[in-house]
Amino acid sequence: MAEIRTVRVMESLLKANDYVAQRLRQAWDQGQTFVVNLISAPGAGKTTLLEATLPVLLSRYRVGVLEGDIETERDAERIRALGVEAVQVTTGGTCHLEAPMVEQAWRLMDNEIDFLFIENVGNLVCPASFDLGEHLRVVLLSVPEGDDKPAKYPKAFRTAQALVITKADLLETMDFSVERARREALEIQPELQVFVVSAKTGVGIPAWTQFLEQRRRQTFPDA
Amino acid sequence: MHELSIMQALVDAVEAIVREHGARRVVRLVVEVGEMSNVIPMYLRNAFLAFREVKPFLAQAELEIRFVPLQLRCESCGFEFQPQGYRYRCVECGATQVRVVQGEELLLRDVELEVESDDPSWPVELPSHGAPRFCE
Repeated sequence: MAEIRTVRVMESLLKANDYVAQRLRQAWDQGQTFVVNLISAPGAGKTTLLEATLPVLLSRYRVGVLEGDIETERDAERIRALGVEAVQVTTGGTCHLEAPMVEQAWRLMDNEIDFLFIENVGNLVCPASFDLGEHLRVVLLSVPEGDDKPAKYPKAFRTAQALVITKADLLETMDFSVERARREALEIQPELQVFVVSAKTGVGIPAWTQFLEQRRRQTFPDA
Repeated sequence: MHELSIMQALVDAVEAIVREHGARRVVRLVVEVGEMSNVIPMYLRNAFLAFREVKPFLAQAELEIRFVPLQLRCESCGFEFQPQGYRYRCVECGATQVRVVQGEELLLRDVELEVESDDPSWPVELPSHGAPRFCE
């Protein structure tokens, strides 16, 4: 006799990812490694922002980078050129990083570090759904992309704690209103900290790196 | 297109439930997809159809997707509303402190199974033909 049975589950479809993310967060809390997840569209300047950020932090902190891309080691090579350990994760087609990929890469790295930057796959949609166990999620919006991006990709802005508007050196030549982008982003996430930077001229980089240091101190008060 | 990886997680979870209950097959799956879950129901369904071809226990299963609109509640005046254009701001009093009532969920709600209660041949090893390729 066949019988039909209904099982009430009510579990998140991201449960498996979130479980690993939680395990990573515990490991990072224990080792006092402050972890930043960088999310943006392709070409918004994640690697370039890191190239401007890491030299400032390197004098006082041990830093590592995990590079997520669909293919190639190119971004990791740019980071290694600064003398920073970088592990490249190539997802082979997957459009975002998931916590198990990060855990696997973390096992290959020097774990005695103060900051770990995770550069997600360039994509403003899918990475927003996957917790990697990070302490800080940062969304980048570059000036050439346009100031109307936040409402088009709300989840990326909703789940971030900081917004970095990059390529500010192009503000003079592009039709981009910082105020409009800021206002639209804050309507989606009122808690967002907003920075306007140019890795090329160095504008805004000090405020951004001070924010990172301050967030790390808040997360690990006895570090 | 992360719907395929999300469907992979769903299929794994369902397979565990099938084994746990010694079920013969899955009749129906019910998932809840919030407006702000970043998942497009059509792509989720396409991913499901791809898995259904390679997972025998899903061969005749139906997928019901319940779309849940984003609903917010103002922490200041208590007004509940469905926002336009993802503006997390009270349409009544303008406060920005709002709470998400629903619309961010991505849930496996129910699994309906056909269970052969007096069949001694169950559970059997489920044949697997691998998973579909990702994001192509």
